[in-house]
Amino acid sequence: MGIDYLKQHGFMLTSVEALANWARSSSMWPMSFGTACCAVEMMHAGSSRYDLDQFGVLFRPSPRQSDVIIVAGTVCNKLAPALRRVYDQMPEPRWVISMGSCANGGGYYHYAYSVLRGCDRIIPVDVYVPGCPPTAEALLYGFLQLQNKVRYQHVLKREAPRGKDVHDG
Amino acid sequence: MMADVLNDYAQRIYQVCPDLKKPTIDNGILNLNVPADQWVDVAQTLKTDSGCPFEQLSDLCVVDYLTYGAVEWDTQTRTAEGFSRAVTPLTRAQQMPSPSTSRFQVVVHLLSLKRNVRLRVHVDALGDEPPQVPSVTSVWPAANWYEREAYDLFGVVFEGHPDLRRLLTDYGFIGHPFRKDFPLVGHVELTYDASQGRCVYQPCELDLRVTVPRVIRKPIMPMDTEESDHG
Repeated sequence: MGIDYLKQHGFMLTSVEALANWARSSSMWPMSFGTACCAVEMMHAGSSRYDLDQFGVLFRPSPRQSDVIIVAGTVCNKLAPALRRVYDQMPEPRWVISMGSCANGGGYYHYAYSVLRGCDRIIPVDVYVPGCPPTAEALLYGFLQLQNKVRYQHVLKREAPRGKDVHDG
Repeated sequence: MMADVLNDYAQRIYQVCPDLKKPTIDNGILNLNVPADQWVDVAQTLKTDSGCPFEQLSDLCVVDYLTYGAVEWDTQTRTAEGFSRAVTPLTRAQQMPSPSTSRFQVVVHLLSLKRNVRLRVHVDALGDEPPQVPSVTSVWPAANWYEREAYDLFGVVFEGHPDLRRLLTDYGFIGHPFRKDFPLVGHVELTYDASQGRCVYQPCELDLRVTVPRVIRKPIMPMDTEESDHG
């Protein structure tokens, strides 16, 4: 099967899951949540050289329109409730990319009194992108990994979805 | 020549504030010690002096002298390894070298736009807990947030401040993190509690540790003299 089959017969066969996952993984709109220097690399990934738009990744300023949130940078204790609120406002299905050492586990500020020791204490994370800050390529690779993950999720089959909120028990 | 100019201004400040000691010149900047009870009057005088008006308050900060003179990082051994070493924190007895001096000192940096002269003012915070210093928000409105920040981080109470709330730390934060006896890792850490549907603080489980960065010194100890200098 392929484009030749489509041209010859005028239709293609696929599963609903594959179609849904293709649609989902091809239009992952991230909520911009840049809090520190990682946000600059996130902007680089979004702008012309790496051009996240080519993967259907369009930054949105609103959680209501987003599928994925990129936690790009240090999350302070004071910011943590806001992060959770933004995450809660996102419609399901939703994914989380944790970008950089600080968001992954506190990083440079792990022993500080005021900084969250990893954003996975607040929201469930799907992809961790290491680096301080990660390069734009690294974030791009993280997106490709997340797309792979989304493609292997089951839409209709009833089972605990991958990336289920660990905090929900 | 610069020192002469500064000397002139020091003399001028001494004239308008005769109750105080004459400002000294350290590292090319004027230093003035002011007792806390005279601070607001002196501030008003400094600001409105026709000869050298300090119109602008460019910084206000606090120094905690708790461990002044006692060095946690001071070690007798040196390492050639690339790893940091943990040392035991100072005990309470090792802190606070002399109880006669006040623990906190408020340091204010003033700038005279007219004369292009800077002045550093030291005000000792009186009182044990909380330490207190009069607020100068009535003189320089810029002091407002500086004093809030100083209160937040050091717990120095500025009497007469119109709105002395915490500025930087989290809502409901307990303690004053820039004090030398505040543990770096803090007392609490944050997690999300799904059953309550909100972020909750829990006691921090991290051990407090003081790490010493990698130091490779040139031979200074007698035992080191036999070794060659590794650079």
